[in-house]
Amino acid sequence: MIQLFGKSAELQLEKDVSSRYLPIVISAMVFLAALSISGMFSLSDAISNWSSTLSENLTVEIAYDPSANLDQKVTDAVELLAATPGVSAVRAIETEETLKLLEPFLGKSSIIAELPIPRLIEVIIEDDSAIDLLALNEKLAAAVPGAKLDTHRPWLDKMTLLGRTIQLLAAGVMVLVGTVTVIIVIFAVRTGLIMHSEVIEVLHLIGAKDGYIAEQFQNYYSRLTFLGALPGLAVAIIIMIIFNFLVGSLEASMLPSLALGWKGLSALILLPVLVTLLTKYTVRHVVLKNLSQMM
Amino acid sequence: MVRFENVGMRYGMGPEVLRDISFHLRPGSFHFLTGPTGAGKSSLLKLLALSHRPSRGLVTLFKREVSSLERDDLPGFRRKIGVVYQDFRLLDHLSALDNVALPLKIAGAKNEQIYQHVAELLEWVGLGNQVDAKPPTLSGGEKQRVAIARAIINRPQLLIADEPTGSMDAEMGLRLMHLFLELNKIGTTVVVATHDLDMIERFGNPVMYLKDGLLSSKAPNTSTETSDETDA
Repeated sequence: MIQLFGKSAELQLEKDVSSRYLPIVISAMVFLAALSISGMFSLSDAISNWSSTLSENLTVEIAYDPSANLDQKVTDAVELLAATPGVSAVRAIETEETLKLLEPFLGKSSIIAELPIPRLIEVIIEDDSAIDLLALNEKLAAAVPGAKLDTHRPWLDKMTLLGRTIQLLAAGVMVLVGTVTVIIVIFAVRTGLIMHSEVIEVLHLIGAKDGYIAEQFQNYYSRLTFLGALPGLAVAIIIMIIFNFLVGSLEASMLPSLALGWKGLSALILLPVLVTLLTKYTVRHVVLKNLSQMM
Repeated sequence: MVRFENVGMRYGMGPEVLRDISFHLRPGSFHFLTGPTGAGKSSLLKLLALSHRPSRGLVTLFKREVSSLERDDLPGFRRKIGVVYQDFRLLDHLSALDNVALPLKIAGAKNEQIYQHVAELLEWVGLGNQVDAKPPTLSGGEKQRVAIARAIINRPQLLIADEPTGSMDAEMGLRLMHLFLELNKIGTTVVVATHDLDMIERFGNPVMYLKDGLLSSKAPNTSTETSDETDA
């Protein structure tokens, strides 16, 4: 690993007490960043799933009316929907099935069967169908009094808004983590510059360019960052696996598991490299700026 | 080679430590710089070593006026100057070999060339058996020789030495001065700052005498005057 980043042969930065705990801080920062990334990508996937599932699935509700023939209304509605271009499948949900859906909320009781329960029809529309749901709803209401098309849109909109808000918060955490990391690195480098000012002066006076000195700083701090980032990422991945296991065992279908997809996984794998690059260029900038103030 | 014209120098907002310094050093000349403690010798050497800039006046080194140098020009100019510091300024964690090799390494020379030259030079200054020793294990005289070897490894055009014989006995001091003379014979311009008036007398080279920040051409208690090479 030392060969990968080079050694600070003249400055002996490896012996600095001031930067000894930097890997621990970087580890914590990478841990938080990894969780933020997984949150962002998982929510993105979850929102797309909700959106695509609920956009394809519609429900037609026919209000309970003791004076009307509900079975006939269901048949009429199914015929109308099946004849509508863009609708791929129509299925009338039997009363028994509807009652079963209510069991988790109302319990098993024969009284439920006497409740004024609406009749439901499940409608599946074709992918990328340009169907006008508003027009279909009006047509359905006119043909079958009491029928209403439920697109789940208000619920989906609220869930999407919640998801996007959490994604924004996660992105905010990422920015915060990046900023804090940069600030910590700046302070550590400035301390190093002060501690090694005498050697730096000697190196300058025997002809060292600023870049030669900056390289020793950036190699050392990049190495510390990379070594700190790896355990931080490993712990974050372990936490994600535990979270997924708990989500799976709860069978909470609405709670998204941390499924990152290939984009999320790539971002996670690249995280230590990106943090190392961020450190490298921060260190280089700070060192060169400070050295430029010397003769 | 080196030209100072009405040069003044101060540290921060403090008083001037050098005032109206004017002189010209020709290439291949050898000069002593002397004066009482606090006269400004080290400050003058700092200007020569491009460690500091003058507060006023013109300093010309290698035909370039120092204030016109860009930051990127400085390393190239400093590589033409070898400096032997009074306190050696060696890197304690590096061996004598690595300390001496440092200017070549910084200049980007290849490793094979570096270590062949360095080993030969250390042999020449009498430290052939101490190449792996680190400065804390060396005596004052040995450190001084490592510092001198580091200063001359790049074949500098200008060699500056601040009290180079201050930390060694008279015999070793004399040997080092002969080393400087050898370097001077092969064309290096040498400036040696010293309090040792006997040594100045013995070698008879031109003297720059500093007192209260002002330069004069003759040191008290010596018969040596500034030659026409030094237009003090």
